[in-house]
Amino acid sequence: MATRSLKRLNNICVGLGMMAAALTLPVQTAQAAGDLLVAPTRIILDGQRGTEVILNNIGSETATYRISLELRRMTAEGKLTAVSPEEVNELEQAAKDMIRYAPRRVTLPPNQPQAIRLGVRAPKNLADGEYRVHLLFRAVPKVTSVTAAPSEQAGGFSVALTPIYGVTIPVIIRHGKLTATAAIANARIEQGDEGQAFAFDLSRTGDRSTYGEIRVVKQGVDEPLLLVRGIAVYPEIASRTVSLPIPADVAAQLKGPLSIQYYEPRNVGGGLIAKTDLVLR
Amino acid sequence: MSKFIKAAVASSVLAASVMGANAAHAATATADARANILEELTVTKDAGTDLDFGTIITTGTAETVVVGNDGTRAACTNVVCTGASDAADFSVTGSASEAVTLTVPTSVTLNGPSGAIMNANLTNTALTALDGSGNGGFSVGGALDVAANQTDGAYLGTFTVTVEYP
Repeated sequence: MATRSLKRLNNICVGLGMMAAALTLPVQTAQAAGDLLVAPTRIILDGQRGTEVILNNIGSETATYRISLELRRMTAEGKLTAVSPEEVNELEQAAKDMIRYAPRRVTLPPNQPQAIRLGVRAPKNLADGEYRVHLLFRAVPKVTSVTAAPSEQAGGFSVALTPIYGVTIPVIIRHGKLTATAAIANARIEQGDEGQAFAFDLSRTGDRSTYGEIRVVKQGVDEPLLLVRGIAVYPEIASRTVSLPIPADVAAQLKGPLSIQYYEPRNVGGGLIAKTDLVLR
Repeated sequence: MSKFIKAAVASSVLAASVMGANAAHAATATADARANILEELTVTKDAGTDLDFGTIITTGTAETVVVGNDGTRAACTNVVCTGASDAADFSVTGSASEAVTLTVPTSVTLNGPSGAIMNANLTNTALTALDGSGNGGFSVGGALDVAANQTDGAYLGTFTVTVEYP
Protein backbone atom coordinates (compact mmCIF):
# COMPACT_ATOMS: atom_id res chain seq x y z
CA MET A 1 0.00 0.00 0.00
CA ALA A 2 2.70 2.39 1.05
CA THR A 3 4.69 1.69 -2.08
CA ARG A 4 1.67 2.28 -4.25
CA SER A 5 0.99 5.71 -2.80
CA LEU A 6 4.68 6.46 -3.01
CA LYS A 7 4.61 5.48 -6.66
CA ARG A 8 1.66 7.75 -7.24
CA LEU A 9 3.44 10.60 -5.50
CA ASN A 10 6.44 9.87 -7.65
CA ASN A 11 4.29 10.05 -10.78
CA ILE A 12 2.86 13.37 -9.69
CA CYS A 13 6.34 14.68 -9.01
CA VAL A 14 7.51 13.51 -12.44
CA GLY A 15 4.46 15.14 -13.99
CA LEU A 16 5.10 18.40 -12.18
CA GLY A 17 8.74 18.23 -13.11
CA MET A 18 7.90 17.76 -16.76
CA MET A 19 5.43 20.62 -16.66
CA ALA A 20 8.03 22.83 -15.07
CA ALA A 21 10.55 21.79 -17.67
CA ALA A 22 8.06 22.53 -20.42
CA LEU A 23 7.38 25.96 -19.00
CA THR A 24 10.96 27.01 -18.48
CA LEU A 25 12.57 25.41 -21.51
CA PRO A 26 10.21 25.83 -24.44
CA VAL A 27 13.06 25.38 -26.97
CA GLN A 28 13.95 21.85 -25.87
CA THR A 29 12.40 18.86 -27.60
CA ALA A 30 9.92 16.70 -25.74
CA GLN A 31 11.18 13.77 -23.69
CA ALA A 32 12.29 11.29 -26.30
CA ALA A 33 10.62 7.91 -26.18
CA GLY A 34 12.27 4.84 -27.58
CA ASP A 35 14.38 3.27 -24.84
CA LEU A 36 14.44 -0.44 -25.48
CA LEU A 37 15.49 -3.84 -24.20
CA VAL A 38 16.22 -6.78 -26.49
CA ALA A 39 16.91 -10.39 -25.50
CA PRO A 40 18.70 -12.54 -26.52
CA THR A 41 21.63 -10.63 -28.03
CA ARG A 42 22.60 -13.21 -30.64
CA ILE A 43 20.68 -15.89 -32.51
CA ILE A 44 22.16 -19.00 -34.09
CA LEU A 45 19.83 -21.33 -35.94
CA ASP A 46 21.62 -24.59 -36.60
CA GLY A 47 18.84 -26.78 -37.88
CA GLN A 48 16.06 -25.18 -35.83
CA ARG A 49 13.13 -23.78 -37.77
CA GLY A 50 12.65 -20.68 -35.67
CA THR A 51 12.85 -18.84 -32.40
CA GLU A 52 11.67 -15.62 -30.81
CA VAL A 53 13.21 -12.40 -29.58
CA ILE A 54 11.82 -10.32 -26.74
CA LEU A 55 11.49 -6.58 -27.22
CA ASN A 56 10.56 -4.51 -24.18
CA ASN A 57 9.74 -0.82 -23.91
CA ILE A 58 11.80 0.35 -20.93
CA GLY A 59 11.07 4.02 -21.54
CA SER A 60 8.52 6.07 -19.63
CA GLU A 61 6.20 6.66 -22.59
CA THR A 62 4.36 4.55 -25.13
CA ALA A 63 6.57 4.04 -28.16
CA THR A 64 6.29 2.48 -31.59
CA TYR A 65 9.14 0.24 -32.67
CA ARG A 66 10.03 -0.97 -36.12
CA ILE A 67 11.84 -4.26 -36.62
CA SER A 68 13.77 -4.72 -39.86
CA LEU A 69 16.28 -7.07 -41.47
CA GLU A 70 19.57 -5.38 -42.23
CA LEU A 71 22.78 -6.54 -43.84
CA ARG A 72 26.16 -5.84 -42.33
CA ARG A 73 29.68 -6.68 -43.37
CA MET A 74 32.64 -6.89 -41.09
CA THR A 75 35.60 -4.68 -41.90
CA ALA A 76 39.25 -5.58 -41.35
CA GLU A 77 39.02 -3.59 -38.11
CA GLY A 78 36.10 -5.68 -36.87
CA LYS A 79 33.48 -2.98 -37.33
CA LEU A 80 30.09 -3.80 -38.82
CA THR A 81 29.13 -1.58 -41.73
CA ALA A 82 25.87 -1.34 -43.64
CA VAL A 83 25.58 -2.88 -47.12
CA SER A 84 23.98 -0.61 -49.73
CA PRO A 85 21.22 -2.19 -51.88
CA GLU A 86 23.35 -2.33 -55.05
CA GLU A 87 26.21 -4.14 -53.28
CA VAL A 88 24.11 -7.02 -51.92
CA ASN A 89 25.63 -10.35 -52.95
CA GLU A 90 23.90 -13.70 -53.53
CA LEU A 91 24.65 -15.08 -50.08
CA GLU A 92 23.22 -12.01 -48.33
CA GLN A 93 20.12 -12.00 -50.53
CA ALA A 94 19.56 -15.71 -49.81
CA ALA A 95 19.82 -15.02 -46.08
CA LYS A 96 17.29 -12.22 -46.30
CA ASP A 97 14.89 -14.32 -48.38
CA MET A 98 14.72 -17.28 -46.02
CA ILE A 99 13.81 -15.39 -42.86
CA ARG A 100 10.21 -14.64 -41.93
CA TYR A 101 9.41 -12.56 -38.89
CA ALA A 102 6.45 -10.87 -37.27
CA PRO A 103 5.37 -8.40 -36.10
CA ARG A 104 7.42 -5.82 -37.97
CA ARG A 105 6.00 -2.82 -36.22
CA VAL A 106 4.68 -2.74 -32.70
CA THR A 107 3.41 -0.08 -30.31
CA LEU A 108 4.19 -0.81 -26.67
CA PRO A 109 3.23 0.95 -23.45
CA PRO A 110 6.02 1.30 -20.87
CA ASN A 111 7.32 -2.01 -19.50
CA GLN A 112 5.35 -4.05 -22.01
CA PRO A 113 7.34 -6.89 -23.57
CA GLN A 114 6.52 -8.31 -26.98
CA ALA A 115 7.84 -11.50 -28.56
CA ILE A 116 9.02 -11.17 -32.16
CA ARG A 117 8.66 -14.56 -33.85
CA LEU A 118 11.36 -15.59 -36.27
CA GLY A 119 11.10 -18.46 -38.73
CA VAL A 120 13.50 -19.90 -41.28
CA ARG A 121 12.41 -21.51 -44.51
CA ALA A 122 15.50 -22.78 -46.30
CA PRO A 123 15.04 -23.56 -50.01
CA LYS A 124 15.52 -27.22 -51.02
CA ASN A 125 18.73 -26.76 -52.98
CA LEU A 126 20.38 -24.36 -50.53
CA ALA A 127 24.16 -24.57 -50.63
CA ASP A 128 25.92 -25.40 -47.37
CA GLY A 129 27.19 -22.36 -45.58
CA GLU A 130 26.56 -19.72 -43.00
CA TYR A 131 23.88 -17.16 -43.78
CA ARG A 132 23.52 -14.02 -41.72
CA VAL A 133 21.30 -11.00 -41.31
CA HIS A 134 21.12 -8.43 -38.54
CA LEU A 135 17.81 -7.71 -36.88
CA LEU A 136 17.40 -3.98 -36.27
CA PHE A 137 15.13 -2.72 -33.48
CA ARG A 138 14.45 0.97 -33.60
CA ALA A 139 11.83 3.35 -32.25
CA VAL A 140 9.82 5.32 -34.76
CA PRO A 141 10.01 9.01 -33.86
CA LYS A 142 6.86 10.89 -33.11
CA VAL A 143 5.90 13.21 -35.93
CA THR A 144 6.62 16.85 -35.18
CA SER A 145 5.78 19.42 -37.80
CA VAL A 146 7.76 22.57 -38.27
CA THR A 147 4.70 24.68 -37.50
CA ALA A 148 4.25 22.93 -34.15
CA ALA A 149 7.85 23.65 -33.28
CA PRO A 150 8.79 26.10 -30.54
CA SER A 151 8.03 29.74 -31.20
CA GLU A 152 10.60 31.55 -33.27
CA GLN A 153 13.15 33.74 -31.59
CA ALA A 154 13.34 37.29 -32.80
CA GLY A 155 16.35 37.62 -35.09
CA GLY A 156 17.59 34.10 -34.52
CA PHE A 157 16.73 30.46 -34.86
CA SER A 158 16.37 27.36 -32.74
CA VAL A 159 17.59 23.90 -33.59
CA ALA A 160 16.06 20.58 -32.53
CA LEU A 161 17.90 17.41 -33.43
CA THR A 162 16.05 14.23 -32.49
CA PRO A 163 18.06 11.02 -32.27
CA ILE A 164 16.50 7.77 -33.43
CA TYR A 165 18.41 5.05 -31.68
CA GLY A 166 18.35 1.33 -31.77
CA VAL A 167 20.29 -1.86 -31.77
CA THR A 168 21.12 -4.69 -34.16
CA ILE A 169 21.64 -8.32 -33.21
CA PRO A 170 23.00 -10.97 -35.57
CA VAL A 171 20.80 -13.83 -36.78
CA ILE A 172 22.97 -16.65 -38.07
CA ILE A 173 21.66 -19.62 -40.02
CA ARG A 174 24.01 -22.56 -40.42
CA HIS A 175 23.23 -25.05 -43.17
CA GLY A 176 25.23 -28.24 -43.50
CA LYS A 177 28.27 -29.37 -41.61
CA LEU A 178 30.50 -26.34 -41.20
CA THR A 179 33.88 -25.94 -39.58
CA ALA A 180 36.19 -23.08 -38.77
CA THR A 181 39.53 -22.54 -37.13
CA ALA A 182 41.22 -19.37 -35.99
CA ALA A 183 44.76 -18.19 -35.34
CA ILE A 184 46.29 -15.28 -33.45
CA ALA A 185 49.38 -13.41 -34.64
CA ASN A 186 51.29 -10.16 -34.48
CA ALA A 187 50.42 -9.02 -30.94
CA ARG A 188 51.48 -5.45 -30.27
CA ILE A 189 50.83 -2.35 -28.20
CA GLU A 190 49.38 0.50 -30.27
CA GLN A 191 49.22 4.18 -29.48
CA GLY A 192 45.73 5.35 -30.44
CA ASP A 193 43.90 8.67 -30.21
CA GLU A 194 42.40 7.77 -26.85
CA GLY A 195 45.37 6.14 -25.15
CA GLN A 196 47.09 2.81 -25.61
CA ALA A 197 45.57 -0.33 -27.05
CA PHE A 198 46.60 -3.97 -27.12
CA ALA A 199 46.17 -5.23 -30.66
CA PHE A 200 46.64 -8.44 -32.60
CA ASP A 201 45.54 -10.09 -35.85
CA LEU A 202 42.84 -12.74 -35.63
CA SER A 203 42.62 -14.91 -38.76
CA ARG A 204 39.97 -17.46 -39.65
CA THR A 205 39.75 -20.35 -42.08
CA GLY A 206 36.76 -22.55 -42.85
CA ASP A 207 33.16 -21.98 -43.89
CA ARG A 208 31.63 -20.43 -40.82
CA SER A 209 32.27 -17.59 -38.39
CA THR A 210 34.10 -17.82 -35.10
CA TYR A 211 32.82 -16.10 -31.98
CA GLY A 212 34.03 -16.02 -28.43
CA GLU A 213 35.98 -14.26 -25.76
CA ILE A 214 39.59 -13.12 -25.72
CA ARG A 215 41.63 -13.61 -22.57
CA VAL A 216 45.10 -12.17 -22.23
CA VAL A 217 46.86 -14.04 -19.44
CA LYS A 218 50.24 -13.27 -17.95
CA GLN A 219 52.36 -16.15 -16.75
CA GLY A 220 52.08 -16.42 -12.97
CA VAL A 221 48.94 -14.27 -12.73
CA ASP A 222 45.65 -16.10 -12.17
CA GLU A 223 43.19 -13.50 -13.41
CA PRO A 224 43.35 -12.51 -17.07
CA LEU A 225 44.81 -9.04 -17.56
CA LEU A 226 42.33 -8.42 -20.34
CA LEU A 227 38.99 -10.08 -21.00
CA VAL A 228 36.66 -9.10 -23.82
CA ARG A 229 33.60 -11.07 -24.85
CA GLY A 230 31.84 -11.05 -28.18
CA ILE A 231 34.80 -11.09 -30.54
CA ALA A 232 33.60 -12.40 -33.89
CA VAL A 233 35.25 -13.08 -37.22
CA TYR A 234 32.57 -13.41 -39.88
CA PRO A 235 32.96 -15.51 -43.05
CA GLU A 236 33.25 -12.49 -45.36
CA ILE A 237 36.71 -11.78 -43.97
CA ALA A 238 39.70 -14.06 -43.50
CA SER A 239 41.40 -11.88 -40.94
CA ARG A 240 40.72 -8.86 -38.73
CA THR A 241 42.57 -6.83 -36.19
CA VAL A 242 41.37 -6.83 -32.61
CA SER A 243 42.26 -3.64 -30.76
CA LEU A 244 41.49 -3.53 -27.05
CA PRO A 245 41.88 -0.19 -25.23
CA ILE A 246 43.99 -0.61 -22.10
CA PRO A 247 44.29 1.59 -19.03
CA ALA A 248 47.83 2.68 -18.05
CA ASP A 249 48.11 0.23 -15.12
CA VAL A 250 47.26 -2.73 -17.36
CA ALA A 251 49.63 -1.45 -20.04
CA ALA A 252 52.48 -1.50 -17.51
CA GLN A 253 51.76 -5.17 -16.73
CA LEU A 254 51.48 -6.27 -20.36
CA LYS A 255 55.13 -7.22 -20.66
CA GLY A 256 57.03 -10.47 -20.66
CA PRO A 257 55.55 -13.90 -21.34
CA LEU A 258 51.85 -13.63 -22.24
CA SER A 259 49.23 -15.98 -23.56
CA ILE A 260 46.37 -14.83 -25.80
CA GLN A 261 43.46 -17.24 -25.68
CA TYR A 262 40.29 -17.30 -27.80
CA TYR A 263 37.50 -19.31 -26.18
CA GLU A 264 33.99 -20.17 -27.35
CA PRO A 265 31.22 -18.74 -25.15
CA ARG A 266 30.36 -20.88 -22.16
CA ASN A 267 26.82 -21.62 -23.35
CA VAL A 268 28.13 -23.47 -26.42
CA GLY A 269 30.76 -25.49 -24.60
CA GLY A 270 33.47 -22.99 -23.84
CA GLY A 271 36.10 -24.78 -25.89
CA LEU A 272 39.43 -23.27 -26.85
CA ILE A 273 39.44 -21.98 -30.43
CA ALA A 274 42.96 -20.61 -30.63
CA LYS A 275 45.87 -19.83 -28.35
CA THR A 276 49.21 -18.11 -28.80
CA ASP A 277 52.09 -17.71 -26.38
CA LEU A 278 54.40 -14.80 -26.88
CA VAL A 279 56.85 -12.53 -25.14
CA LEU A 280 56.05 -8.82 -25.32
CA ARG A 281 58.83 -6.32 -24.72
CA MET B 1 12.60 -4.65 -13.62
CA SER B 2 14.01 -7.63 -15.44
CA LYS B 3 16.31 -8.25 -12.51
CA PHE B 4 13.22 -8.62 -10.34
CA ILE B 5 11.77 -11.11 -12.78
CA LYS B 6 15.04 -13.04 -12.81
CA ALA B 7 15.16 -13.08 -9.01
CA ALA B 8 11.55 -14.21 -8.88
CA VAL B 9 12.18 -16.95 -11.42
CA ALA B 10 15.30 -18.06 -9.60
CA SER B 11 13.54 -18.22 -6.27
CA SER B 12 10.60 -20.14 -7.72
CA VAL B 13 13.04 -22.64 -9.22
CA LEU B 14 14.64 -22.99 -5.80
CA ALA B 15 11.25 -23.44 -4.14
CA ALA B 16 10.27 -26.03 -6.73
CA SER B 17 13.43 -28.03 -6.18
CA VAL B 18 13.03 -27.94 -2.40
CA MET B 19 9.43 -29.10 -2.68
CA GLY B 20 10.52 -31.75 -5.12
CA ALA B 21 12.99 -33.08 -2.57
CA ASN B 22 10.24 -33.30 0.06
CA ALA B 23 7.86 -34.98 -2.29
CA ALA B 24 10.45 -37.58 -3.18
CA HIS B 25 10.26 -38.96 0.35
CA ALA B 26 6.52 -39.45 0.13
CA ALA B 27 6.26 -40.93 -3.33
CA THR B 28 8.34 -41.36 -6.43
CA ALA B 29 7.11 -38.36 -8.37
CA THR B 30 9.30 -35.99 -10.30
CA ALA B 31 8.65 -32.54 -11.62
CA ASP B 32 10.84 -30.37 -13.73
CA ALA B 33 11.17 -26.67 -13.18
CA ARG B 34 12.66 -24.83 -16.07
CA ALA B 35 13.53 -21.21 -16.63
CA ASN B 36 15.15 -19.92 -19.73
CA ILE B 37 17.14 -16.84 -18.79
CA LEU B 38 18.27 -14.93 -21.83
CA GLU B 39 21.09 -12.46 -22.11
CA GLU B 40 19.62 -9.05 -22.66
CA LEU B 41 20.74 -5.67 -23.80
CA THR B 42 19.29 -2.21 -23.38
CA VAL B 43 19.83 1.09 -25.13
CA THR B 44 18.54 4.24 -23.44
CA LYS B 45 18.98 7.94 -23.94
CA ASP B 46 19.79 9.66 -20.69
CA ALA B 47 16.83 11.75 -19.54
CA GLY B 48 16.99 15.39 -20.48
CA THR B 49 19.97 15.10 -22.79
CA ASP B 50 19.63 16.11 -26.42
CA LEU B 51 22.09 17.46 -28.92
CA ASP B 52 21.25 21.11 -28.34
CA PHE B 53 23.10 24.04 -29.89
CA GLY B 54 21.07 26.59 -27.92
CA THR B 55 19.73 29.73 -29.57
CA ILE B 56 21.80 31.31 -32.30
CA ILE B 57 21.40 34.85 -33.57
CA THR B 58 22.99 35.54 -36.95
CA THR B 59 24.97 38.68 -37.61
CA GLY B 60 25.54 38.34 -41.36
CA THR B 61 28.70 36.25 -41.24
CA ALA B 62 28.95 32.47 -41.58
CA GLU B 63 29.97 30.45 -38.53
CA THR B 64 30.29 26.87 -37.41
CA VAL B 65 28.81 26.36 -33.96
CA VAL B 66 30.50 23.43 -32.25
CA VAL B 67 29.08 21.47 -29.33
CA GLY B 68 31.67 19.01 -28.04
CA ASN B 69 30.94 15.44 -26.98
CA ASP B 70 30.86 16.70 -23.39
CA GLY B 71 28.06 19.15 -24.21
CA THR B 72 30.05 22.38 -23.95
CA ARG B 73 29.76 24.86 -26.78
CA ALA B 74 32.90 26.39 -28.22
CA ALA B 75 33.02 30.18 -28.24
CA CYS B 76 31.03 31.71 -31.09
CA THR B 77 32.81 34.63 -32.76
CA ASN B 78 30.71 35.55 -35.79
CA VAL B 79 27.26 34.83 -34.34
CA VAL B 80 25.66 35.34 -30.96
CA CYS B 81 25.10 32.09 -29.06
CA THR B 82 22.81 32.06 -26.03
CA GLY B 83 21.05 29.46 -23.95
CA ALA B 84 22.30 26.16 -22.62
CA SER B 85 24.00 23.66 -24.91
CA ASP B 86 24.11 19.90 -24.50
CA ALA B 87 25.27 16.68 -26.13
CA ALA B 88 23.03 13.60 -26.41
CA ASP B 89 24.13 10.94 -23.94
CA PHE B 90 23.27 7.27 -24.41
CA SER B 91 23.61 4.33 -22.05
CA VAL B 92 24.06 0.73 -23.13
CA THR B 93 23.81 -2.27 -20.82
CA GLY B 94 24.38 -5.91 -21.62
CA SER B 95 26.75 -8.77 -20.88
CA ALA B 96 29.94 -7.92 -18.97
CA SER B 97 32.95 -7.06 -21.16
CA GLU B 98 30.96 -7.54 -24.37
CA ALA B 99 32.44 -5.92 -27.48
CA VAL B 100 30.04 -3.64 -29.38
CA THR B 101 30.37 -1.23 -32.27
CA LEU B 102 28.53 2.00 -32.97
CA THR B 103 27.13 3.47 -36.14
CA VAL B 104 26.65 7.24 -36.01
CA PRO B 105 26.11 9.23 -39.23
CA THR B 106 28.81 11.77 -40.04
CA SER B 107 26.35 14.47 -41.03
CA VAL B 108 22.69 15.34 -40.73
CA THR B 109 20.49 17.84 -42.58
CA LEU B 110 18.12 20.06 -40.65
CA ASN B 111 15.02 21.47 -42.30
CA GLY B 112 13.88 24.97 -41.50
CA PRO B 113 11.15 27.37 -42.59
CA SER B 114 10.28 27.61 -46.30
CA GLY B 115 12.81 25.10 -47.52
CA ALA B 116 15.80 26.50 -45.68
CA ILE B 117 18.32 23.85 -44.65
CA MET B 118 21.35 23.61 -42.42
CA ASN B 119 23.99 20.92 -42.16
CA ALA B 120 25.49 19.53 -38.97
CA ASN B 121 28.48 17.21 -38.75
CA LEU B 122 28.24 14.77 -35.88
CA THR B 123 30.96 13.54 -33.56
CA ASN B 124 30.79 10.85 -30.89
CA THR B 125 32.84 9.34 -28.12
CA ALA B 126 34.05 5.81 -28.80
CA LEU B 127 32.44 2.71 -27.33
CA THR B 128 34.27 -0.52 -28.12
CA ALA B 129 33.22 -2.74 -25.22
CA LEU B 130 31.00 -2.72 -22.14
CA ASP B 131 32.75 -2.69 -18.77
CA GLY B 132 33.07 -5.53 -16.26
CA SER B 133 29.55 -4.83 -14.98
CA GLY B 134 28.03 -4.74 -18.46
CA ASN B 135 27.64 -0.97 -18.64
CA GLY B 136 28.72 1.42 -21.34
CA GLY B 137 27.84 4.78 -22.73
CA PHE B 138 28.60 7.27 -25.43
CA SER B 139 27.83 10.90 -26.26
CA VAL B 140 27.03 12.59 -29.54
CA GLY B 141 28.08 16.18 -30.20
CA GLY B 142 28.18 18.14 -33.42
CA ALA B 143 29.23 21.10 -35.52
CA LEU B 144 26.44 23.18 -37.04
CA ASP B 145 27.19 25.12 -40.24
CA VAL B 146 25.37 28.43 -40.05
CA ALA B 147 25.32 30.35 -43.34
CA ALA B 148 25.82 34.11 -43.45
CA ASN B 149 22.23 34.68 -44.54
CA GLN B 150 20.64 31.78 -42.65
CA THR B 151 16.85 32.18 -42.53
CA ASP B 152 15.45 32.71 -39.02
CA GLY B 153 13.11 30.12 -37.56
CA ALA B 154 12.98 26.64 -36.12
CA TYR B 155 15.09 23.89 -37.67
CA LEU B 156 14.31 20.24 -37.13
CA GLY B 157 16.30 17.14 -37.95
CA THR B 158 16.70 13.51 -36.96
CA PHE B 159 19.75 11.28 -36.89
CA THR B 160 20.00 7.56 -36.33
CA VAL B 161 22.37 5.97 -33.87
CA THR B 162 22.77 2.20 -33.86
CA VAL B 163 24.54 -0.08 -31.41
CA GLU B 164 25.72 -3.16 -33.29
CA TYR B 165 26.10 -6.43 -31.41
CA PRO B 166 28.64 -8.75 -33.00
